Amino acid sequence: MSKEIIRLENIYKTYKNGTINVEALKDINLTIKEGEFVAIMGVSGSGKSTLMNILGCLDRPTGGNYYIEGVDVSEKTDDQLSQVRNKNVGFIFQSFNLIPRTTALKNVELPMVYAKIPKEERRCRAIELLNGVGLGDRYHHMPNELSGGQKQRVAIARALTNKPPIILADEPTGNLDSKSSIEIMEIFRKLNKEDKNTVIIVTHEHDIAKYTDRIITFFDGEITSDKETENMKQEAL
Amino acid sequence: MLFLENIKLALTSIRSNKMRSFLTMLGIIIGISSVIAITSIGDSAKATVSKEFESFGKNNVMIYPNWRENPDMTISPNAAFSQEDIDALSVRFEKELAYIDPSNNIQSETTVGRVKGKWAVQGVAGDYDKFKNMNIIHGRMISNSDLKGKRDYVVIEKTGAKFFFNTENPVGRTLNLNVNGNMREFVIIGVYAEEKSLFSGLMSTSAYAAYSPYTSIQGDLEINASMLNIYIGDGYDIKQTSDAMVNYLEKIKGIEKGFYTSDSVESQQGTVDQILGTLSLAIGAIAGISLIVGGIGIMNIMLVSVTERTREIGIRKALGARTNDILVQFLIESMIISAIGGVIGTALGAGIAVIGMSIAGAELVISPLVVLFAVLFSAMVGMFFGIYPARKAAKLDPIEALRYE
Repeated sequence: MSKEIIRLENIYKTYKNGTINVEALKDINLTIKEGEFVAIMGVSGSGKSTLMNILGCLDRPTGGNYYIEGVDVSEKTDDQLSQVRNKNVGFIFQSFNLIPRTTALKNVELPMVYAKIPKEERRCRAIELLNGVGLGDRYHHMPNELSGGQKQRVAIARALTNKPPIILADEPTGNLDSKSSIEIMEIFRKLNKEDKNTVIIVTHEHDIAKYTDRIITFFDGEITSDKETENMKQEAL
Repeated sequence: MLFLENIKLALTSIRSNKMRSFLTMLGIIIGISSVIAITSIGDSAKATVSKEFESFGKNNVMIYPNWRENPDMTISPNAAFSQEDIDALSVRFEKELAYIDPSNNIQSETTVGRVKGKWAVQGVAGDYDKFKNMNIIHGRMISNSDLKGKRDYVVIEKTGAKFFFNTENPVGRTLNLNVNGNMREFVIIGVYAEEKSLFSGLMSTSAYAAYSPYTSIQGDLEINASMLNIYIGDGYDIKQTSDAMVNYLEKIKGIEKGFYTSDSVESQQGTVDQILGTLSLAIGAIAGISLIVGGIGIMNIMLVSVTERTREIGIRKALGARTNDILVQFLIESMIISAIGGVIGTALGAGIAVIGMSIAGAELVISPLVVLFAVLFSAMVGMFFGIYPARKAAKLDPIEALRYE
């Protein structure tokens, strides 16, 4: 079978809200294998965003261990986590989070700048990736000159730059109309099925979740269900 | 690589906020330009003054009774300098003493034809023009044989020649001068062009300047001078030699120690240099304070910029920027703002100095060291005042920064 990309062991996350301790995640155990297409669902406050931050190494768990490709990242320093994010995680956000006043091309190049990849190589890879998401004619556009769907495609291209084993999308269609949403989800499907990327999408919309193969549902900081979708069953047939 | 990237980034950010960047730079521009202008004007003034002193000859020394410390002393006939003293000094300090005269002079009302005017005649020894920068344009200067022969010769200044004789070259003609009450006829043997001097304005008298052998303008009287005008030969220490001369004079004249004192152009120049140096340092320091104010301006605007770009910082961190990457990015930005301000300020300050010096009519001296220091210092101001905002940016928590609206 394919190897494990992500393994969470007894993950706890506790926030201090004034004097009250809020348990955002309670004893989460979860394994995601290479090439999986996963949706993490839940209402707001269920802990799915907290999990997303931990999966993306933006935050550290209060307790438990988190392994990416077998390496424990729960005890790493801030700068080490930065490198893990740079090399292992491709982020896609609800609000796109492109750097303003910076061209699409430069935005896509950015993770490679922090990976200290030479300029020529950066440029070539960025052009290749933008062509891949169908933005071959938008290299020098600023984010404010792009539509929502186009912005999200730039963000996807940017997430792919350093060939990360994990692609993490937080409500990627949350700010898009239904037509763009479908286009974006098709891109994710293609990334997963054709390019064999591991894709994790956090969403609260069933329509989005149904594109994936596996839906993990959160409620009150705990996993309440973890099942394969119709897609998977169809493929199995 | 990341360094170049950061410089480009900083330039982009400065460009996208032109007005704000300019206003931020203004503090540095004002600070640096005033420091440059003041130090340049100070240096130029120093150079001008030192040139002025050099026209007297740097090795010029005056020996005279120490009035300053003993204002009440009465000068006994014995204390005044005589020809014997001059001769004794010339023998004793044969090598060191290049020139000596008793610094005597006369003022004379003179009429030539229908032109009436005043002459101030200074008594000199031979070859005086070799020590004091003088430009003889016609004839020759007083020689040592003129001195020994007590010849009634005179060398006059060009403007005086024009005034009295309506020609630049009245060599060979005569001038009646009143020497101790007797009108005597002096032959003009030379004309010199007076150098334009910073002090000539201060020294302006209605009298025209002229030089004669000190023996002849003394008339029949004995030399009885209160001051000796001396030039020390090249290669001898001025202070040491003049002290030795003072000691020797006190010894041969049997006068208590400390009665005479010497004053050299060198020591006067040192004093003036010191005063000018202190003055420009003091004003420069005040101007330097405006640099600190400019630096605070940079800090303020960088803090605003960090807050504005919180989300950008969050994105960068999410994409793999380390704490240092963000720190360096903002440090370079503040350094570049302030270095650009430093360059503009240097140009502006040099411009002010050029205008100021051309109005004063003095030669401009801009020390490249000062310019280098100013630009480096402004970059350092940028760095120092950029540290706090940059650290604030670098320490932002990525999650909170991403959430920032």
